[in-house]
Amino acid sequence: MELLIQLFLGFLGIYTVIGVLFALYFFFKGAFALDPLIEESKWTVRLLLIPGAIGLWPLLLFKIINKSRTSL
Amino acid sequence: MGLDYQTVLWNSHKKKYDLWIAIGVFLYLLTFIGITILTNPETTAETLIIRAFGTLAIALLHIVLLIGPLSRLNSRFLPLLYNRRHLGVSMFLAALIHGAFSIIQFHTLGNTNAFYALFTSNLEYDSLTNFPFQVLGFFALIILFLMAATSHDFWLKNLSPKIWKGLHMMVYVAYAFVLLHVFLGALQQQPSLWSISILSIGFIVIASLHLKAALQESKIDKQTAIKVEDGWEFVCTVDEIPEDRAKIFIVQKERIAIFKYENKLSAISNVCKHQGGPLGEGKVIDGCVTCPWHGYQYLPANGQSPPPFTEKIATYRLKKIANEIYVHPEGLAEGTAIEPIAL
Ligand code: HEM
Ligand code: FES
Repeated sequence: MELLIQLFLGFLGIYTVIGVLFALYFFFKGAFALDPLIEESKWTVRLLLIPGAIGLWPLLLFKIINKSRTSL
Repeated sequence: MGLDYQTVLWNSHKKKYDLWIAIGVFLYLLTFIGITILTNPETTAETLIIRAFGTLAIALLHIVLLIGPLSRLNSRFLPLLYNRRHLGVSMFLAALIHGAFSIIQFHTLGNTNAFYALFTSNLEYDSLTNFPFQVLGFFALIILFLMAATSHDFWLKNLSPKIWKGLHMMVYVAYAFVLLHVFLGALQQQPSLWSISILSIGFIVIASLHLKAALQESKIDKQTAIKVEDGWEFVCTVDEIPEDRAKIFIVQKERIAIFKYENKLSAISNVCKHQGGPLGEGKVIDGCVTCPWHGYQYLPANGQSPPPFTEKIATYRLKKIANEIYVHPEGLAEGTAIEPIAL
């Protein structure tokens, strides 16, 4: 059980650290790539998006990569 | 819908509701702390905060879960539905304070990592009654976090309706975790008949209201038009539709909503372009049909979102004979203008 818990918490920790790094990228660039409407919105909107970017980074990464592929 | 995103969508209504949320939260905390100090003066400040915010969170969670079925059963509750988002975020913040203080209070004293301690201080994972209840709270908090974090319109649009809806339906999973968390916590610490009976009553009320709303919906689905006159179907009489609201009907398997507003009648598809919300359960605000789910708007006479928006839904022809309303079951192309029936 302890091993399982350690694995799970380790996974959660790594997931969160990557999420925080991704959220920085998302704040400065990623959000624009995902939705052009962001350009006309205030920067505080992107500030509010940070928790969501930390929590859902794999999904967002996937969406951004997909988008840049189809627009090529 | 929206040309740009607002940080927080605030209009005078929403501000008023948020003020009520703030006042309610403040009064609740004041009452809870007052009663605890009077009846249990040796309670420490940390315990007080943990209990006050834990119970606040679960009370708000109950309100959030009740608003959905209540507004389907009675349109008077609709304004609450339109303003549910901030209530949900407040609930998460209350739960976060509760959880953070619990972790600090119970798990930061040793030299192991606090989260590791949270998961391992009680290892009776195979026990039914001694199951580590705090772990259940932790998982509930993660779900509530994801929901609060994605409550902004940006996520609604960019996550795709299916994923967003799925994520927010997880509130029921979170509710189940919270129920078990509180239930087991009460059992393991100081069995209190009070908290267990309040929780059970809360659960019964929530479950039965959801059931009642679902039954009412399936009733609408089953009803069929009574008489047909050269293709036109009779649906109801004029006075059966309340002012600025609609009645929902099924014609040829499509759900339509007939709205009465400004002494006129118009029929549009009941299905919102955004995520299929039930437009007929919304009301007419500033001349626009307003979706009860996230507030997309449509002009009743042509099914178009007011400029600069571009959403369009199908419209339906109506005919009034004496006091009876007839609808032509064939919908017109999305966004087709139809002269409303004057009353
Ligand atoms: C990391 C997450 C969480 C932790 C570590 C945690 C911890 C605790 C602890 C230690 C208690 C017992 C407090 C006492 O009896 O003094 C408790 C009770 C309670 N918790 Fe949580 N909890 C968490 C999440 C949640 C969430 C998400 C909710 C509701 C939305 C919640 C609602 C409650 C309620 C209503 C009680 C009973 C009232 C009380 O005794 O304080 N908890 N929790
Ligand atoms: S379903 Fe979202 S606004 Fe109608």
